[in-house]
Amino acid sequence: MKKKRVLLFVLILCMLLPSTPVFAEHTQETNYIYDYWGDTPRSLPAFEWMDTIDQGQLGQIKMGSIDDVFVSKDERIFLVDTLESRVNVLDANLQLLQSIKLIRDENNKIIVDAANKQLMLDKPEGVFYHEYSDELYIADTGAERIVVLDGLTYQFKRIIERPENMVGATLFKPSKIVVDKDGKISVIVQGSYEGIIEIHNNGTFSRYFGLNKPRVNVIDHFWKTIATSEQKEKMEKVFAPAFNNLSIDSEGMIYATTFDSSAQDKVFRFNSKGENVLMENGYFWVIGDVNYLSADDRSQFVDIAVSDYGVYALLDKNKGRVFLYNFQGDLLNIFGSIGYSKGDVREPTSITWFGDKLIVTDKQFAIAHVYQPTEFGEAALYAEKQYYYGQWEEAAESYAKTIELNSNYDIAYTGVGRNYLMQDEYEEAMYYSKLGNARSYFSKAFAGYRNIFIQNNFIWLVIPFLLFAGYLIYSEYRYNRKNG
Amino acid sequence: MSIIEDGKLMFHVLLHPFDGFYQVINHEKKRYILPTLILILVGIVGVLSYQYTGFILNTFPIHYINSITIFITTLFPIVLFLISNWSITTLFDGNGSIGDIFIVMCYALVPKLLFDISGILLSNVVTMEEAPLLNAFTMIGTVWFCFLLFCGLCVVHEYTALTNVLTLIATFIAAVIIIFLAMLYFTLMGKVIGFVYSVFSEITKRW
Repeated sequence: MKKKRVLLFVLILCMLLPSTPVFAEHTQETNYIYDYWGDTPRSLPAFEWMDTIDQGQLGQIKMGSIDDVFVSKDERIFLVDTLESRVNVLDANLQLLQSIKLIRDENNKIIVDAANKQLMLDKPEGVFYHEYSDELYIADTGAERIVVLDGLTYQFKRIIERPENMVGATLFKPSKIVVDKDGKISVIVQGSYEGIIEIHNNGTFSRYFGLNKPRVNVIDHFWKTIATSEQKEKMEKVFAPAFNNLSIDSEGMIYATTFDSSAQDKVFRFNSKGENVLMENGYFWVIGDVNYLSADDRSQFVDIAVSDYGVYALLDKNKGRVFLYNFQGDLLNIFGSIGYSKGDVREPTSITWFGDKLIVTDKQFAIAHVYQPTEFGEAALYAEKQYYYGQWEEAAESYAKTIELNSNYDIAYTGVGRNYLMQDEYEEAMYYSKLGNARSYFSKAFAGYRNIFIQNNFIWLVIPFLLFAGYLIYSEYRYNRKNG
Repeated sequence: MSIIEDGKLMFHVLLHPFDGFYQVINHEKKRYILPTLILILVGIVGVLSYQYTGFILNTFPIHYINSITIFITTLFPIVLFLISNWSITTLFDGNGSIGDIFIVMCYALVPKLLFDISGILLSNVVTMEEAPLLNAFTMIGTVWFCFLLFCGLCVVHEYTALTNVLTLIATFIAAVIIIFLAMLYFTLMGKVIGFVYSVFSEITKRW
């Protein structure tokens, strides 16, 4: 009896306590997405912070900064530390495997040059792991050379210096490199207006490539057309904007980014002629943030990470945001920020895929964050993957799941509608493509719907026409009778 | 039943602009009911086209519709043209009063109105490939409107075609000046009101 009374008393006490309301709007998530009209409805983040690589993993070895990151197929992480002139290699569990500074030969001896100086990395800025030949390419920027190491033992293989047949004014200060299947090396030199340097595998110069068009200023153009050639000589020359980073996808296509404010495009996907063939069929161009106050406020992409299925992540150094796009140029998600909370960055430098996860590095704090996909992100990425490989049914299922999780994810409506269109279910296709603001798909679905409608109601469309024709004939007949 | 008479005359104007406008202007008593109705209808059709144009041709954010704003912005250029044309033609020996110009403008708007309404209806049954055809179709109404307006202004002001073109150019310049003066006026008024308000709030805080 007494127990019951105590329980009752506790119950009443509990009811007296003020309730603490929990609303989604009070959470700290500020993620957003751009819809068709450039408005910013709330969205879920596709990635969340999972782990951080920092001094703790490196033990005795000091980490000064992280300037570039690369993950090989067997999930080894290569971190470039420009300040300490090191390349640190970590395994998939984020444990240190090796730290490369002094280069050793096959017998594990430190290589010494003619002047009795040790061969040592000097302010490297980029790294690339070549899967086909298991070679590690390090862009040794300070020493103006590319150091090639064995990918498994990290022993010396060869050095690529400035090719003797290289033309142009660009200094050979390789900053970022990628190597394609055939061993052709593409090198970015920061501030070079001549484009990406392409070197044959044997170290000879091939060409500059990549077209980075500057924005045309109408007033300048006008003055230039009326200026004499002497005046023109004294005018400031317009140089092509420089690329600042590059990446290569599974098809061997080279992607590049630029954050030069005078460039027309920000992201490039080059064909072999060096033209930009990036698909930009989304609601907006691939420019990151659509709404900005001034030119300085625009997104500035420092790095691009391309997945096997065409989804690429762009890292914005201005606001620390990561923009995910699919191969058609649809904006999938925006996450990350500059700040001091967990998972935030101060000075983002590079981004790369780590399986399904993403690694974002920070120069100032010398840390790298590992982001894992959220439930929403997993569904969204899976949908894109299936769509890329032509598995439309699975893609539609996954798109439907993303809508359940995040109803502001507009391109998923398009994805579902597209699948209905393929199955000739026109009404559903119209409904969904209208929600996704996909007018071309809506138009196709509507054409099918209209055809069926006309087929079913043909008689009702024909009767008025026949009546009208009959009336015309009758009136002609009457007129002729009257006027004989 | 003057409206029905006016209506008959209106349709006469569509196909015989010179004769029709001459009759309209030289009517013993000018009636403004039908022209005003047409003008209001034009504004309403502006709102309707925002809301009811078919999805394929309609890129407006329908969830943001503000019908009063659309109504005003549709009628604003018409009224602006009316005022600036009147102010120019009084200087250029035009014979038309502002009422005449108003009637001419409103009657000239009728084909545009009809084609716009049919354009809204048809836009709901076209696909993307047929959209240029529909645009060309509604363009007929606009061209017709321009033609009627030109003829009507010739008639009311008793101008030759060349003088009419010149006054139209002057009208355009006058319209720009009117907009400029209006903006100047509103910003100045805003500043004055702001000043008065700050003086007022200063005084109320002191005492």
